[in-house]
Amino acid sequence: MNDVIITQDDLYAARIFFNSALPLLKVVIQSKPEISAKFRNKRFVFQISALYNKAPDGKMATYFIFNKGDITVKVSEIHPKPDIELVFPDLKKFIVFFSGKGTPLPKMKGVVTHFGAFVAALKGLLAMAKLLGATDAPTDQADQELCVKLFFYLLPNGISQLNKAGQEKVRDFVLKSPDRAYAFAVTGYPELNSYIRVKEGNSKAGRGEYPRCKPFLTLRFDSVIHALDILMGKGDMVDYMANKYLTVEGAPEFAGTVGEFMLLVASYAKAAYMD
Amino acid sequence: MGGMNYTVVDSKRLATAEIYGKTLVELGEKDKRVVALTADLAKSTKIGDFKEKFPDRFFNVGIAEQNLFGIAAGMAKAGLIPFISTFSVFASLRATDQLHTDICYQNVNVKIIGTHSGTSYGQAGSTHHAIEDIAVVRSLVNLKVIVPADGIETANAVRAAYATDGPVYIRINRGFDQTVYADENYGFELGKGVLMNDGNDITVIANGSCVFQAVQAAKILEHDYGIHARIINLHTIKPIDKEIILKAAEDTRRIITVEDHTVLGGLGTAVGEVILEHGRACAFKKLGLNDCFSAIGFHEDLMHINGIDTDSIVKNAVDMMKHAHVVEITAEGKTTKALKFDDRNFEAEIDWTDEV
Repeated sequence: MNDVIITQDDLYAARIFFNSALPLLKVVIQSKPEISAKFRNKRFVFQISALYNKAPDGKMATYFIFNKGDITVKVSEIHPKPDIELVFPDLKKFIVFFSGKGTPLPKMKGVVTHFGAFVAALKGLLAMAKLLGATDAPTDQADQELCVKLFFYLLPNGISQLNKAGQEKVRDFVLKSPDRAYAFAVTGYPELNSYIRVKEGNSKAGRGEYPRCKPFLTLRFDSVIHALDILMGKGDMVDYMANKYLTVEGAPEFAGTVGEFMLLVASYAKAAYMD
Repeated sequence: MGGMNYTVVDSKRLATAEIYGKTLVELGEKDKRVVALTADLAKSTKIGDFKEKFPDRFFNVGIAEQNLFGIAAGMAKAGLIPFISTFSVFASLRATDQLHTDICYQNVNVKIIGTHSGTSYGQAGSTHHAIEDIAVVRSLVNLKVIVPADGIETANAVRAAYATDGPVYIRINRGFDQTVYADENYGFELGKGVLMNDGNDITVIANGSCVFQAVQAAKILEHDYGIHARIINLHTIKPIDKEIILKAAEDTRRIITVEDHTVLGGLGTAVGEVILEHGRACAFKKLGLNDCFSAIGFHEDLMHINGIDTDSIVKNAVDMMKHAHVVEITAEGKTTKALKFDDRNFEAEIDWTDEV
């Protein structure tokens, strides 16, 4: 064990990485045929973990079960005997690594015996990190769509995770909220949509169109590229709304709150509190 | 006014009153008898376009609502078609005497557009909430009363009011209304309700801003509980569409009314009167302000607090389904429907696990 001091912000950031960002590896693999082909006949468990002595099992983790092309993601669970595992010595190093603030390397277990699978998983992780960390829109259309999908899946999930972790602002908002859904959408690309449903302290992030009814509020972009502009902080929201690149469907008074929480998730994903 | 974080773009795009203003210009172009009057609220009630286009047919009487109504009555007597725009709370309460005597008693051709109705002017407080206006205006002789569901329906209502001789009161919100209709061609007819969703388990009758909430509630009731709710937009409270109400009472035997208004004297009361007069029995619940003033805040939050949002409609519908359902009784070769009260369990478990 180690004596690194872990702050509340570290715990929020770790939760976003473990429960919201790392699961996107599955989305990346499934969207890239050249990577998913590498897993077609493979059966193994790949776990990413960080030691944390206050966690029930002494660490936090996310793991992936690869089963001949199928991928199952498990969050908030520890696999007792993963085939491959990347273990960070503490949460801080884990956050520094995934936020791109540094390269404290993890211990690698089982890599030698499952080298091919490890390389493929690593490729997926690198592709994901490249897309989520991009400051300019990818040139390839498929990558642009994937990038928006990753952000759209990450943001509501991150907000929901912050609520579940008790982040004060998000928690307060969700506790006071009636049953409402906030959605992210790009016109003509329903597969990119995502949403978060909140109700009296509970929250759930989902993918695709909100199935129960029209969301309370939808932030709708007119195109993938305009969505990327805003997600990458390159566009001015007011200008984009004036030009109808971005429309707020539903209750506009609440768009500011959603925007604030989006920025909060982004700041944890960048570990901005460490600056 | 704290917390106003929507943009100018939103307010321009979404304001129902804005659509009213544009429709008024359209009518003004068509008919020179159309004139617009306001009591120093031209900007708030969005009739600035009319003022710009027809300055000699626009009259601001100052902050004097009683005069506004009296002057409009005189203009109508002279052959003009005045459209009065002011806040609903002033139109229905401050100027009640003039509305009653100058306009309704003389049955003159004045159209009253009450804006910022219900609790839609949330942050302005109880002095600006119009939660009793329907109760007042629907009791006035000769006055027709329309409560449109969104901007599109407002355009239809304004045209229908123009085409109808005699006084008409149209109740619209402050703005930022959710869009209910994709376009104007859905068969709007003064005095006829609109079937928004068909179902035979329960009927929700709504108007104004509550229509959108009811439509969403129907989706949730079907998705989560398998309850098929009939949703009716009863945009005209007077004359009321008895046929659609009685059919709902007959078919579903459960009716919930939803209105951004006190439950005393508004939509719920009007629907209840129809059912009672015709001797129909059904489970009946009125959602609205329960003999109380509203809290102050964003309209969406007030709708939840006042129990007239999607959530509240779902809860009440499920509760009503728990306690009464229709059974068919066959006796001597005749089948009739009756209410059976029981405790069906409609509680749905919600999985709050995030999708990964």
